[in-house]
Amino acid sequence: MAGTSGGRGGTPGSLDLTREGEMLTLYPLSSPLSSHQPTAFKMAEQIEKSFQKQPLFHNTKFATSSKKVGGKDRRWYKDVGLGFKTPKEAINGTYIDKKCPFTGEVSIRGRILTGKVVSAKMTRTIVIRREYLHYVPKYNRYEKRHKNLAAHCSPAFRVEVGDTVTVGQCRPLSKTVRFNVLRVSKAKAKTFVKF
Amino acid sequence: MGITRDSRHKRSETGAQRAQYRKKRKFELGRQPAMTKLGAKRIHPVRTRGGNLKHRALRLESGNFAWGSEHTTRKTRIIGVVYNASNNELVRTNTIVKSCIVQIDAAPFRQWYEAHYAQPVTKKGARSKDAPEEAEKTQSAHVKRTIAERQKEAKIDPLLESQFQAGRLYASISSRPGQSGRADGYVLEGKELEFYLRRLRAGKAKHAA
Repeated sequence: MAGTSGGRGGTPGSLDLTREGEMLTLYPLSSPLSSHQPTAFKMAEQIEKSFQKQPLFHNTKFATSSKKVGGKDRRWYKDVGLGFKTPKEAINGTYIDKKCPFTGEVSIRGRILTGKVVSAKMTRTIVIRREYLHYVPKYNRYEKRHKNLAAHCSPAFRVEVGDTVTVGQCRPLSKTVRFNVLRVSKAKAKTFVKF
Repeated sequence: MGITRDSRHKRSETGAQRAQYRKKRKFELGRQPAMTKLGAKRIHPVRTRGGNLKHRALRLESGNFAWGSEHTTRKTRIIGVVYNASNNELVRTNTIVKSCIVQIDAAPFRQWYEAHYAQPVTKKGARSKDAPEEAEKTQSAHVKRTIAERQKEAKIDPLLESQFQAGRLYASISSRPGQSGRADGYVLEGKELEFYLRRLRAGKAKHAA
């Protein structure tokens, strides 16, 4: 069932009976059958109790777009501007994140800051630490200070503690989150130099 | 006023308790939720900031629903609330909110379909009357041609077809009844429909067990 309708562009696999005069096929509601097609993505991503989707219209009857997209369903993504490359994982991935700067509904404007990741334990958000020096005039010297910043981290990025990360300002996403990760500048050194 | 939308009462990011240094302001106000139920239409207008109006729907019974893949919209009666991702209580009390799944009356959509495609929606012709066969007036050649063209696209999804047989479609509310006073939405189709059907089935199975 998925195999035959897999050759068509347009509507998702198991429901596309428009062109062929097939008999009504009984298709199971869970779709493990769509194994070799990337259409299985929607089911794996739907963890929440409501249907996660990008605000696009997916159910056109007519396979108007002749280009056969890799996944059956169209994916919307955008270029955030300011020279930041949108990662491949955002374009080809299957996650749904409305707060992602590339595939969601937030825009990046205002400040662009960098910092080092301190904690990545929250779902889809990280805490970064920005260090700076503060001058004390009396002693003619500097002191180290730091500020922590909570930033939303799209599933397009794999971030670990210790990475350097560039974040851009966006509208408030939660009580403390006003920034969004745009680029993971330096992954931690893979080769551990142990002496 | 009781309800505010300020953040001065919350702890700061470091966890510190914030001291209260001023009273509640009018621009921070919040109002009671609408909790629109099913019933004869009852809408109260509310004067909001700037003199603007919000229509708080307290009871609604119909809405404008769009059948996306066929690109038509019809005003239909809402039969009942069937699923709410946030709160089962709202399902039990038939409260209409944005993004809740409702069942709507399928009749206007069936009528449109049969007029547009000159075909009954369901396989079982028993529901769709045989009257169209007899009342078939002589159609002009142009009409016949357009109908023949449309026949090619006339097939609809089996999940939708079974809903038509039952006379009720599943739809999702996409307006905010407490703000606009309307319960408008779109007919569920495709992956979304499968998803919610599965959730409904799981819910029923859990209750049955």
